[in-house]
Amino acid sequence: MIRLSRRAAVAGALAALSAPSVLRAQTLRKTSVGVLRLSSSGPVFIAAERGYWREAGLDVELKFFTAAQQVPVAVTSGDTEFGVTGLTASFFNLAGKGALKIVASQSREAKGFPLVAYMVTNAAYEKGFRSVRDFAGKRVGITTTGSTFHYELGLLAKKYGFDLSAVTLVPLQTLPNMQAAFKGGQVDAILAPVTLARALTADGSGRILAWAGDETPWQLGALFTSPRAIAEKRDVVERFVRGYLRGTSDFNAAFNQRDAAGNEVRGTNFAETIGVVARAVQQAPELVAVGLPFVDALGRLDVGDIYNQIAFWQQAGLVGKDVTGKEIVDLSFVRGHLNVPKN
Amino acid sequence: MRLVCESVGHRYGSLDVLDGIGLTVADGECVAVVGPSGCGKSTLLGIMGGLVEPAAGRVYFEGTAPAGSLNPITYVFQDFALLPWRSVAANVSLALEHHPLDAREREARVADALARTGLGEFRDAFPKQLSGGMRQRVGIARALAVSPAILLMDEPLSALDAQTRELLMEDFLALWLAARTTSVYVTHNLHEALRLADRICVLSRRPGRIKQIVAVGIPQAERAASAAAREMSILADRLWAAVREEAIDAEREIAHG
Amino acid sequence: MPNARSHMDDRRPVPFRGGGFSPMPVRYAAAIGFAVLLAIWELAVRRGLVSPIFLPAPSTIVAALGDLWRAGTLWQHVSQSLVRLAGGWCLGTAAGLAAGLLMGVWSLGRAVGVPFVSALFPIPKISLLPLLILWLGIGEASKIATIALGVFFPTAIAAYTAIDAVPRNLIRMAQSFGLPAGDVLRKIVLPGALPGILAGFRISTSIALILLVSAEMIGAQYGIGAFVLQAGNLMLTDQLLAGVLLISLLGLMLGAGLGRLERHLLRWR
Repeated sequence: MIRLSRRAAVAGALAALSAPSVLRAQTLRKTSVGVLRLSSSGPVFIAAERGYWREAGLDVELKFFTAAQQVPVAVTSGDTEFGVTGLTASFFNLAGKGALKIVASQSREAKGFPLVAYMVTNAAYEKGFRSVRDFAGKRVGITTTGSTFHYELGLLAKKYGFDLSAVTLVPLQTLPNMQAAFKGGQVDAILAPVTLARALTADGSGRILAWAGDETPWQLGALFTSPRAIAEKRDVVERFVRGYLRGTSDFNAAFNQRDAAGNEVRGTNFAETIGVVARAVQQAPELVAVGLPFVDALGRLDVGDIYNQIAFWQQAGLVGKDVTGKEIVDLSFVRGHLNVPKN
Repeated sequence: MRLVCESVGHRYGSLDVLDGIGLTVADGECVAVVGPSGCGKSTLLGIMGGLVEPAAGRVYFEGTAPAGSLNPITYVFQDFALLPWRSVAANVSLALEHHPLDAREREARVADALARTGLGEFRDAFPKQLSGGMRQRVGIARALAVSPAILLMDEPLSALDAQTRELLMEDFLALWLAARTTSVYVTHNLHEALRLADRICVLSRRPGRIKQIVAVGIPQAERAASAAAREMSILADRLWAAVREEAIDAEREIAHG
Repeated sequence: MPNARSHMDDRRPVPFRGGGFSPMPVRYAAAIGFAVLLAIWELAVRRGLVSPIFLPAPSTIVAALGDLWRAGTLWQHVSQSLVRLAGGWCLGTAAGLAAGLLMGVWSLGRAVGVPFVSALFPIPKISLLPLLILWLGIGEASKIATIALGVFFPTAIAAYTAIDAVPRNLIRMAQSFGLPAGDVLRKIVLPGALPGILAGFRISTSIALILLVSAEMIGAQYGIGAFVLQAGNLMLTDQLLAGVLLISLLGLMLGAGLGRLERHLLRWR
């Protein structure tokens, strides 16, 4: 077993340097991962580009999807073995039926990382909607019920003690719809991803009240696979996580460095790494540099927050009561997880 | 009333269909128009009733319509032209509804027209429930209901089978003899023309011109009698001789495109 | 005599060669077929042959409907959707009939209208949602407009082709009896076009149902479409199929209603 994987690693290293060889195809274990073309999946792109999985004896195929909810479905249906994406109520419903297990972290909302803005329209601002404490009684546009935006508002409600049921959540399905409703004054506020938020402030149609990362840090996304894969081919999962963690480490080193004052500092290999991500998300490097999320270098999960997410969705009646955090998180692949609940 | 055609001509695009038709239908006269297919018989009838605009010439009607005539020039159609969604009585009443009649008079006219055509017990039936002969009776009843001064009949029997045609012709003759309405009867059936018409107008092949006008000297009521058989047979031969050449030429012309 | 006997020996019945190729209605066959299918489906899920994630059992779907009923939201979803369907369909139908009539009888209307309608008909109405939100907001107006827009085009085309198919000899007949133009329209053209228009209604009601989900993408809290959408977003497949079941039941009921209307209005056929 060890000999085999060592040989595979050597072969992989050789293949990375020279032309593809028959040997590589024979010795690398094929597997696949479902991702979106977002910078939060940067560790996946880095691991693939830099041959970290090949060195771990894996030939990983990246399968690209266009919506967060498609990735867990793809893992459930067996179209991909692994998935990396944001956590939504839909994810927990699938996971609760025994189809998915979280093994490592993806990105996290963290202080100093502007990813999602609470934006108010000028009209609402004029009428006194000037703080994230003022959400009660307002109309707020989100993509869908059960989305990450929905949870972020829930966290905000908990932090500032307003009643989430006093906020009218308006599900608008797509970002263009949200943008239209915001510009037309059909909603008082929206939760906007950084690029949309910048566009809306640039054309003067609204103001940013705060960033979700600053207000309510939480575990936004995760790496997951199927329980069957863990049971039947644990070594593949282990090798996949090993390669993935080299990606998170590179990502963190390049993008997540801050100086003592909390200002952004370009980290190790910044230019080259941003090139890797930019090619994968098919955007200009300058644009990618604006919306880089925080990714834990060691792939550690904020386990307590995941438990909290499940409780929140259950309370909202959107996730079945029988779903438990213990069953859907496997802590054995990454050491030193954060905030692990006692029971 | 009299109907006068003055050098009527017509063309469809570059195709001449009628040329220099001059014909006067006298008051109380029935004129049959016969000719090979495609000679413009039906077009002529359309021009006479104001449904087709002639390319040349004009059509006049002269005299005053009798009192109570609602639609002086009235058609009976080859395909009956009944509204399938209206009952027999409602089809007849269609011709009356836009006239300022009170309901009683309208109903009286409908009932009278249906009685004269033997449709009394079919007044609530829909056209699809009727045989072809009954349907054309509805078409005739509709024409009678407006008390026409001039009747224009466009092959009214040619969509029917031979036996029905014979039966309807008998009824038709009786109706016509009772009213003696000025009529033009277009047909390709010489037998029908000979039964009904005072004069028979033979059109040439396209473009249709008047080739010959044959007067039938025997009163309509006596034509079926055996005493008239010889004279009728001579007339039929004469008529056929006039139509035959045209029909042969017309057929060749169609065959050669 | 020997001749006659040999004829008797040679005698055979002419074999029947016709028959077949003319499907007859078989009573209850549809119901039994449906029941068998449901039973197989239910068993397959219960025996674990099919994962309930991929295909929830019929009983689970019915239970999800029952939950809705007990929560009291079922009627809220259905009634809100019905209001939107009725509003959008009536609006789209009225406008479509008017446009179809103009294209059917008026040369200029046809010259302008037909290319216009043909160009706009195939546009997926979903792609116009952001525009509709800008124009009409996210209230009922934009939802009703989405459905109305979807209903308008097939109705206009159905009305226009139906009017075109009214036999011209009937119109000439009416003119020969001196009917005024208004009467020709009212008594000949419209009743003559009615079968085609009613056939168009079947298509437009289906399109209205299809667009219900799109219409309720726009900030709807209640409605069958909103419910289906949310269930899909949350991967609650049993609720998703319960909502789909509701929509198809609604479609069946509308279809049956239209069938009765057709039988009543077109009993002359």
